[in-house]
Amino acid sequence: MVARTLGDSPMKYMLAIFEDEANYPGGEDGEAWRAVIAKHMAFGGALVQAGVEFSGAGLHLSHSATSVRTGADGAQAVHDGPYAETKELLGGFYVIDVASLDEAIAWAKQVPLGAHGAVEVRPVLGMPG
Amino acid sequence: MLSALAARLRDMELAEDAFGHACAAAAASWGAAPPRDPAAWLYAVALRRAWDVVRHARVAGRAPADAAAPVATPEEIAMAAAEPITDERLRLVFTCCHPALDPAARVALTLRVVCGLSPAAIAHAYLVPEPTLAQRLTRARRKIRDAGIGYEVPARPFWAARLASVLATIEIAYAEAHGDAALSGVGAVGLEMVALSGALAEMLPDDAEVLALAALTRFAEARRPARLDARGAMVPLDAQDPGRWDRALIAAGEALLRRAAKVPGPVGPYQLLAAIHAAHAGRRPGEPPPWGAIAALYDVLLGVRPGPVVAVNRAVAIAGAKGAAAGLAALEAISGARGIEGWLPWHAARAELLARAGDGAAARDAYRAALALGPPPAERLFLEDRLEALASKSL
Repeated sequence: MVARTLGDSPMKYMLAIFEDEANYPGGEDGEAWRAVIAKHMAFGGALVQAGVEFSGAGLHLSHSATSVRTGADGAQAVHDGPYAETKELLGGFYVIDVASLDEAIAWAKQVPLGAHGAVEVRPVLGMPG
Repeated sequence: MLSALAARLRDMELAEDAFGHACAAAAASWGAAPPRDPAAWLYAVALRRAWDVVRHARVAGRAPADAAAPVATPEEIAMAAAEPITDERLRLVFTCCHPALDPAARVALTLRVVCGLSPAAIAHAYLVPEPTLAQRLTRARRKIRDAGIGYEVPARPFWAARLASVLATIEIAYAEAHGDAALSGVGAVGLEMVALSGALAEMLPDDAEVLALAALTRFAEARRPARLDARGAMVPLDAQDPGRWDRALIAAGEALLRRAAKVPGPVGPYQLLAAIHAAHAGRRPGEPPPWGAIAALYDVLLGVRPGPVVAVNRAVAIAGAKGAAAGLAALEAISGARGIEGWLPWHAARAELLARAGDGAAARDAYRAALALGPPPAERLFLEDRLEALASKSL
């Protein structure tokens, strides 16, 4: 196994947000939704203030999702709804450019959630070249 | 040395490979005339090897076969001598104990990389098959590399959480070494944790919880000679012969605890645990422990560390201070906790207190329930003895 880096270099991490959509009664027209959007605006502002380069997006609620599944035999099928069958579903993400996993975790702890949920912190593959 | 390399290379496996090659090169080439600065020589040669591995792997997609050992140039040796090798062990400890690693992985990695125990010894101590342990180590190293866990002492904003993870790892490493009570040769883990917690206390002398954890490991390890009877059965803490405890370790623990008490700030869980152990350690032969004081300490501990482990120990202390009925009531209070039915210490405590309260039939049931959960050998012998004693009493 070969060293990924020899020396300091920043890393990109995805912060993937998973929430139970019961956190948003009233859906995208509801008060809870509006409140969390506002919190995300503020969170983006905090990232800017801290000089962290980032990208990201919020997603429409999962009823709007369509899944394309490809089987081991290559057969494909189109399904109504999100892929995951768990209660917590993907709701949005940030990709942040930080110096360490510790920093990524610290930002992940501040990602706004409707109520409870989880944020997965995963390193992004470097681009070749 | 290894940790300085790991810090530079950010890849523990590469560092271990490079260090191994440097040592082999040293063994082959130093002979009667070792270099003036052996550490710098090793470091320079190891770095050279690491660059070679990386370069070859990039070109050919794999690591090179064992080439002839590289010779360090005078420039490389001078460069290596200038590299600071301070706090290296602390960096390694923080890395191995990162909260992004699974607790069992942290324990295994710390024992392997920081303490130098063999994978066989670690597997033996935690009653896991060696291949499982080897896989655990491999996964942990991969996670460190791929998730970008740095080989450095954490920056100030992250310090508290990272240190808490280090202390928790040491505590788990000590507490879950099953050979603790029965198997031979596993004293190694206990002594390593005494040493590591002591080294931490030296490096971070102003942190009350660090001092307290060092005290705690000393108190626990001091009791090792008294833990088993002649047949290998477990002897519970309040029945142990204080004359068999290691007085020097107890004195060292007491000194550390006194220093911890002098540090301003709120009292944390390790200080409370160490104080409880200190209270037990002050017991004279034939005397009971100061149960009232111990129960009071557990009351506070339950506030900062809620959960069944503390609750059960607290119940036992309450029983000592106020009688079996009070202790049983305290146990009853957590009977609804998730998973408690499958938890051996709860059944064992219930059995003991039920027997004391005179309810022999219920006590026997509880002892059987505890035995059914498959305790380690020393505890099994103890529980079987108790069950037999109860059975013969009722004849």
